[in-house]
Amino acid sequence: MAETKEKSLSDEKPKPRVRPIVRLGIFLISHSFHVSVVCCTAGVLALFLLPVLAKNTYISENALMPGSASPMLSNQHVSDGNRLVKDLTNPNSKSSETGIESHKIIAQYMLDLGAEVSFHKFHPQMNQFHPLHFFSSPDSGKIQENYSCSSYGINTVGIIRAPHGDGKEAIVLVTPYNALKSGFGEALSLGIAYSVFSLLTQVTWLAKDIIWLVADSQYGEYAAVAAWLREYQTPKFSSLSTPNAEMCPDVNNLFELKGHSISGSKFSNSFRRAGTMASALVLKVRDQNEQFEDTISIYAEASNGQMPNLDLINVVNYLAVHRQGLRVNVEKLWSLLNSSWLKSLGEIFESLAKVAKSLYPKWKFGIPATEYVEGTATLASSLYYQALGVPTGPHGAFRDYQVDAITLEISPKFSLDKVWRNDILLRGGRLIEGVIRSVNNLLEKFHQSFFLYLLTSPSKFVSVGVYMIAFALLIAPLPMVAASLYVDANSSSNCSKGDSSTPSAITDTDEHSIAIRSWRWLNSAKLVFIVHLWGAIVSLLPYFISQIPDCSPTTSFMIWVLLSILSLLTLNSVLASPLACAKATQEKEWALVKSVTISSVFIGLGLMSVINFATAEIGALLMVPMCLLAQPLKLDVRAGTLRSFCRMICNLVLGHIAFPPAAFFLLKGMLDGFGNANVGDFWMWVESLWAWNSATYLFIGMVQLPCWVLCISILFHTC
Amino acid sequence: MQDLCTMVHLCYCLFLVLSPLIELKDSQIIFCTDVVSAMLIRATGQNLRLAYLRSLESLDLVKQIEVSGDIAALIYLCNPFTIVACVGLSTSPIENMAVILCLYGACSRLIPLAAFGWVIATHLSLYPAILIIPVIFLLGCGPDSPPRKLFLQRHQQKEVLNQSKLPPRFSWGPVIHFAFWAFLWSVYVLVLCGISLKQFGGLWEMFKSTYGFILTVEDLSPNIGVLWYFFAEVFEFFRNFFLIVFHVNILFMILPLAIRLRHRPCYLAFVYVAICSMLKSYPSVGDSALYLGLLGWFVNELADMQFSLFLFCGYVGVSLLSPVMHNLWIWRGTGNANFYFATAMVYACLQIVLVVEGVSAMLNHDRKLRNLITGKPQDAKS
Repeated sequence: MAETKEKSLSDEKPKPRVRPIVRLGIFLISHSFHVSVVCCTAGVLALFLLPVLAKNTYISENALMPGSASPMLSNQHVSDGNRLVKDLTNPNSKSSETGIESHKIIAQYMLDLGAEVSFHKFHPQMNQFHPLHFFSSPDSGKIQENYSCSSYGINTVGIIRAPHGDGKEAIVLVTPYNALKSGFGEALSLGIAYSVFSLLTQVTWLAKDIIWLVADSQYGEYAAVAAWLREYQTPKFSSLSTPNAEMCPDVNNLFELKGHSISGSKFSNSFRRAGTMASALVLKVRDQNEQFEDTISIYAEASNGQMPNLDLINVVNYLAVHRQGLRVNVEKLWSLLNSSWLKSLGEIFESLAKVAKSLYPKWKFGIPATEYVEGTATLASSLYYQALGVPTGPHGAFRDYQVDAITLEISPKFSLDKVWRNDILLRGGRLIEGVIRSVNNLLEKFHQSFFLYLLTSPSKFVSVGVYMIAFALLIAPLPMVAASLYVDANSSSNCSKGDSSTPSAITDTDEHSIAIRSWRWLNSAKLVFIVHLWGAIVSLLPYFISQIPDCSPTTSFMIWVLLSILSLLTLNSVLASPLACAKATQEKEWALVKSVTISSVFIGLGLMSVINFATAEIGALLMVPMCLLAQPLKLDVRAGTLRSFCRMICNLVLGHIAFPPAAFFLLKGMLDGFGNANVGDFWMWVESLWAWNSATYLFIGMVQLPCWVLCISILFHTC
Repeated sequence: MQDLCTMVHLCYCLFLVLSPLIELKDSQIIFCTDVVSAMLIRATGQNLRLAYLRSLESLDLVKQIEVSGDIAALIYLCNPFTIVACVGLSTSPIENMAVILCLYGACSRLIPLAAFGWVIATHLSLYPAILIIPVIFLLGCGPDSPPRKLFLQRHQQKEVLNQSKLPPRFSWGPVIHFAFWAFLWSVYVLVLCGISLKQFGGLWEMFKSTYGFILTVEDLSPNIGVLWYFFAEVFEFFRNFFLIVFHVNILFMILPLAIRLRHRPCYLAFVYVAICSMLKSYPSVGDSALYLGLLGWFVNELADMQFSLFLFCGYVGVSLLSPVMHNLWIWRGTGNANFYFATAMVYACLQIVLVVEGVSAMLNHDRKLRNLITGKPQDAKS
C-alpha cells in the first residue's frame, strides 16, 4: 500500500537494526530519481499497452440469456409501425405550430394498443452553476419564476402493464422526437418503437412494465428526458401561485381536444408511473448516412464518466452482431486512425508478441497492428468522453438515478424503397425486442458485470483492475519523491545546525531546532493551503461572472482571468507571502514546498481517480512530470551542466503546457487545427463543464491550477 | 449510529438539566458546547504549561515555551472535524465537553467538577469510564511533569536534597474525595433517570438500550470505524466471542500505558481518548476532533514526532476520500462496501500510527531530558 510505503519512506534516521520494510523504503528514497523515471515510463507504456491487454466481453449475468428465444416480431407489427411512420411524415400532421398534432397521433396509436397514455409537460431548465452536483443526488429542481407559455415541451408517455408482473419494475424505451422539424430518421425510430410496443401488448412473457417515452426534443434530447425523469423520481408539489405549464391555454386546448376525440378511459391527465426502472434504451435513427452497411452505434458515457453495466452493452452487442447481422460501432477518435506513429507502435507490439510466442507457445497476447490502432482510437475516445464528464446522449439522465441506460443509434444504408424500410424496421425491432426480453428476465438490478471499464471495441474492454495499474505506476513516484525531498530538507538543516553550534550552546540550539525541525513543513503547508483556497475562489468566480448580462465569452474569460490574478495578489498580501518570510530562516524552503505540493497533488489525483478515472489519468499525464521536475531555475542556471539545462528546458515547456487554458488550446488545435482558435472558446468549454455537473471542472480549478501555480512559484523561487 | 444512542441519552439528560421542550436541532447548544470546550481546553492548557514550567525550573532546565493552551483551543475550534460534527448537529461535541470538563476539573483541582464531568461523560458514552485512571493520577500527583526519577537524580548530583523542589508524592486524600463525589453524582444521575424513566421500563431498560447498544454493536450501518464491517461478516455463533475480544482490547492497553506514562496523566488521558475513538463501537469524526484538540497541549513535547507530514496528509486524504467512497457505494451504486471499508481501515491505521508515534515521541522526550541532566551526549537517544 502506498501509505505504508510512505510511512517507511519518511523514516529519517537509519538505525543500526532496520526492519526490511524500512530498509526497502530507505532504498527507494535514496534512489527516488531512478525509481520515478522507471515508474513514469512504465505508467505511460502501460497506458499504450491497454488495447493489447483488453479482454473479450462476456455475458456475466446468467439470467439475461440473450437470444435464447426466437424473435416474435412479425411482419404484422412491422406494417403497424410503417403506418405510424406514414402518418407522421404526412404533411397534414405538421400543420400545427407546436406540433401538437403529431403528439396526438402518437397518443392515439398508443391508446389503440390498449396502453395507458399521459402527456408530460415541462419547461426546459436553464443552465445552472452547480459544480458539486455530481456528488449529491438530483433534486426535484428549482421552480423557476419566469415561466412563459411560449416555451414548453410535451413528452408523450405510454405504459404497458405486464400481465404477470407485480408492477414494481419497468423497462423504459425512449425515442427522441421533435415534432416541429422531424426528419425521416426520427419518424422511423418511432416506427421501430411502435412495432415493438405493439408486439409487447400481446406477449405473455412480460414481467416488467414497459414505458415508452416519446421525448420532445425541441429543447434538446437530454433536457426532455431529464425533466421527465425528475418528475418520475422526485415528484414536486408546487404552490398554486406559481404559473406552470398547466395554465397555458395551448396545453389546455390539447387536453380538451383529447377529451372529445378519445373515448378510452386509459388516457389520464395526471402523471403516470410504473415501477422501478431496471434499464432504459434510447433509440435513434440517423437521417443521412454514408456507410455501406447497416450499423448501430452505442453511446454509453453518462455524466462524470459513469458507465452503464457492461452486461447491457454485451447484450446489445451480442444480439446485434449474432442475431440481426448489424455492425456495431462505438465512438472513435478518427484523427488517431491515420497516425503513423501509432501504426508503428502497433507493429512493434505485434512483432514482440510474435517473438514471445516463438519462445513459449502459450503466450498469446499479440493483436494485429490495425486492430491495435483501432483499439487505441476507441480507447482514446472512451477516455476523452469520460474525462469530459458530459453525457453523450439522453441516456446520461438515467445514470443520475442509478438506472443503466444506453443510446442506440441505427444508421441504415440509405435507400428509399419500401422493402428496405421494412427490413430496417424488422431488424431494429427484433433487436429491441431481444434486449427487452433479456432485461425482462432479470431478477435483480444489473450488478454482475463491471461498472468501471473502458471500451476498446464493442466486444473488448479494459477493466478497472487493469487500467488502474497504469495510473498507479504513473503516480507511484509522487509519495516517494515527496518523502525524499522532505528527508533531504530536514537532514540538511540538521547538519548545518550541528556544524555551527558550539558545544557550550548545544542545549539551546538543540531545543530550538527540535521545536522547528519536525513541524517545519507547516509553513509550506500554509502556502499550499492558501493556493488551494485561491483555486476554490477561482472555481467559484464564474458563478458571479455568468450573472453579468450580455457578456460575450471573450470578455467573460478576460474578467475571469483578471479577477483571478487580483484575488491571488490579495490573498498573498493579506496572508503575508510565506515563501518570502520563511526564506530568511531556511535555505531549502523550496524543497519543502515541493514536497507538500507533491503530496497534495497525490491526494488530489487519488481522489479524482475514484470520482472519474479518465480525468485523473489525463491530469496525471500533465501534472506528474511537471511536479517531479520542478526546481528553481536559478539553481539550474547556477549549475550550468547539461543535465540542469535539459531540466530547465523541460520545466519551461511543461510550465507552458500544463496551464489549463494552454492545454485546452493545444488539444483543440491538435484536433481541429489552430486556425479558428478563439479565447472565448475556453470560457464556453468551461461553461459546458459546469452546466453538466462535471467533476472535471472542480479538478481543473482545485487541483490542476493550484498545482501549476505552485510549480511556477517553485521555478521562480529566489534561493 | 452512534448519534442515535447518544440521542437517547441526551433525552434523559436534557430531561434532567434543562427543560424537556428544548430541541437539539434548533438551538445553538452544540455550537455553544464547542466554544465552551475550547475555552476549557485553553484554561487547562495554561494550567499545564505553568505546572510544566515550574517543574522544568526545579530541574534547572530553562526552556522557551511560546505556545500554550491557546494553540490546543485553536486546533480544536479550527479542526474541520469539529466543524463537521457541529454543522452536522452530531451530539459528540456534548460528550467531548463532558470529557474536557472532567480533565479541566482534575487539572485545576476542582474535585466536584471533575467528578461531575467523569460521571456525565461515562453516562453519555461509556468509554470515558477509563479516564478514571488519569484523573486519579492527576489528583494524586498533580499535572504532567518529567519523571520523578529525574528530580531525584538531579538532586543527588547537586548533593542537596531540597524536599520542597521535589514533586509531591502520591496523596490519597483528593482521590478519596473524588471517589466520594463521583459516587454522589452517579447516584444523583441514576435517581433522576429512574424517576423520569419510570413509565418507560425503568433503569434496567435504560442500561439495556444504551450501554447494551454500545457493547453489543447491534447497529451495523456504516460508519468510519471498522467494527460494522467486521460484525456484518462474522458468523453468528462467533459474535459473542469477538465482542469480548474487541472490548477487552481496550482494557488490555490500559495497564501498560498507565504504568509507562504515570508521570504524565494528561498525556495518558489523550492516549486513552485516542484509543477509545479508534476501538469504540460507533466512532464518529467528533471523537477525532477531541483527541486532535488535546494533542495541542503537547506541542512542545511532541515537536520531535516522526511522520508528522505523513499523518497530516493521511488525515486530509482519508477525510476527503471517505465521503467519495461512500457516495460511490451508496448513491452511484458503482462501488461496493469494500471501497468504503478500505478508507475506514486506512483511517484506523493512521490513528494507530499517531498513537504509537505520539507515545514514542513522548518517551524520547523524557529520555532527552534525562540525558540533559546526566550530561550524556545527544546521540545516545534510544
